[in-house]
Amino acid sequence: MASTAQKPTGETVEIEENLKEKLGPKILELKVPRNRRIFVSVEKTAFREVAEYLTKNLEFKHISTITGRDAVGQTEVIYHLNRRGVELSLKVQVPAEEATLPTITDLIPGAVLYEREVHDLLGVDFKDHPDLSPLILPDDWPKGVYPLKKEWTVEKIRQKFAGSEEK
Amino acid sequence: MSEATFQIPVGPQHPALKEAPENFMFNIDGETVVDVKARIGYNHRGIEKAAESRSYIQNLYLVERVCGICSIAHVTTYAQAVEEALNLEIPPRAKYIRTIIYELNRIASHYLWLGLAGHEIGFDTLFMYLWRDREIALNILEQITGNRVTYAAFAIGGVRRDISPQMVKNAKDGLNILEERMKYYKKLCLNEPTVLKRAVGVGVLKPQDAIALCAVGPTLRASGVKSDVRADDPYLVYDEVPFSVVTYDGCDVASRVLVRCDETLVSIGIINYALDHLPEGPVRVKAPRLVPPAEVVSRSEAPRGELIHYLKSNGTDKPERLKIRSPTLGNIPSICKFLVGGFVADIPIALASADPCFTCTDRMAFVNVSNGKRWVWTHEQLRRYSLKWHQQS
Repeated sequence: MASTAQKPTGETVEIEENLKEKLGPKILELKVPRNRRIFVSVEKTAFREVAEYLTKNLEFKHISTITGRDAVGQTEVIYHLNRRGVELSLKVQVPAEEATLPTITDLIPGAVLYEREVHDLLGVDFKDHPDLSPLILPDDWPKGVYPLKKEWTVEKIRQKFAGSEEK
Repeated sequence: MSEATFQIPVGPQHPALKEAPENFMFNIDGETVVDVKARIGYNHRGIEKAAESRSYIQNLYLVERVCGICSIAHVTTYAQAVEEALNLEIPPRAKYIRTIIYELNRIASHYLWLGLAGHEIGFDTLFMYLWRDREIALNILEQITGNRVTYAAFAIGGVRRDISPQMVKNAKDGLNILEERMKYYKKLCLNEPTVLKRAVGVGVLKPQDAIALCAVGPTLRASGVKSDVRADDPYLVYDEVPFSVVTYDGCDVASRVLVRCDETLVSIGIINYALDHLPEGPVRVKAPRLVPPAEVVSRSEAPRGELIHYLKSNGTDKPERLKIRSPTLGNIPSICKFLVGGFVADIPIALASADPCFTCTDRMAFVNVSNGKRWVWTHEQLRRYSLKWHQQS
């Protein structure tokens, strides 16, 4: 049946086998929960190499989006790549205090806004990105306030702006 | 930039009509656009953050409000993400009803867009006719769901209302009219000089650029790239229903018009098939309130293109993280690309041709960089300027 119980077949299995064979030790975790869905976790050090392999060798040319997530002390960045319907989510964790990653905009130009969005909302610094100016947040948004971090609850953000709203 | 270059900020907003105002900074040389930069966020409502403090059931209604026009796309994508995390299979009849509502929503959206495109090129008769006919689609939706815009029709585990035989008959009658009308509008668009002069060769997006910039939906398919989530990554009952993926290779506004005309006809075919093959049985199963830890990527083909929701659950009744990427964001790099090289007077229709959720960029300021002179135009003034410019040329 359609949504929940689809067994991985064809292209999905081929990609899974290829990843195991070619990237083996670089992959921390490889999950294929159903057909056309692959989750790959890598270390930060291996990230760029794996991203290059996926986009160049395996032809994952389309990026659906980039998800950023606060993972207690770590910031998880998930690249949702697509090839003819197979959605591969490449996951990498970076320390929240020193959240930097190499950009992938040279590999996939369409990633340019998604990296800016994650930069805005979670403070991940994408090295060599052409323009990391604010995309979603206002130009005068205070430094260090990253709305999608769990520590920044709605109440805390409200308090932060309590003084400025009265002006 | 040469001394003759002007900067034109377009936007940011008119939040009344559509919900995502944007700002575009245009650099122009005479009448030609040489560079475009987009700035979004004027109406960022923090829905992803809000979702983390609401239960899965509350979020069903929250995500419906991400977009007023393609609300059902968000609800479908979200509901199937939660159901996948729950490992819950919804009844076949519910899947068919969801598909019917989804495609009706696409018809209403494409009719709305084609009308707006007519308005942008000064063809307001077309606008009036299309919005009149669009009522038929909204009436069918109202009869099935009880609502015209935000439908509140789905539940985690199925749909909230069943379709009666009378509704099937009424829907089919309405679809016949919609089909006949859309065939006429397509013929009109192919033959009417008012449309052709403003649409052919305007806002060109080459296939290689569309792929590199990760365009989605009709914008991508009008550049000749056959990509549709319904076909590539089937959900609901799209693996059972016969349908074709529409592409045109003109890469311009005209192709985007034709893609949407044909897609409307395809949607009518899908709905008719689904109404004829509606399986018997329940429309809903009971879903647990707590969702076990899981992560799910859910996709669907919204009227404007690929929509993706990423859901991470943590065993509670609230999501750990819900990421939503609506199709318009995916198309902004492409919009910036195809506006370059075009005329200022073509900005409204070219911008509108991607059907972004911010066509109503209301206020525009024009800045002469060399002497600092500045003037402000509303979107309406730019539209009038555009019409006048095209009348004279």
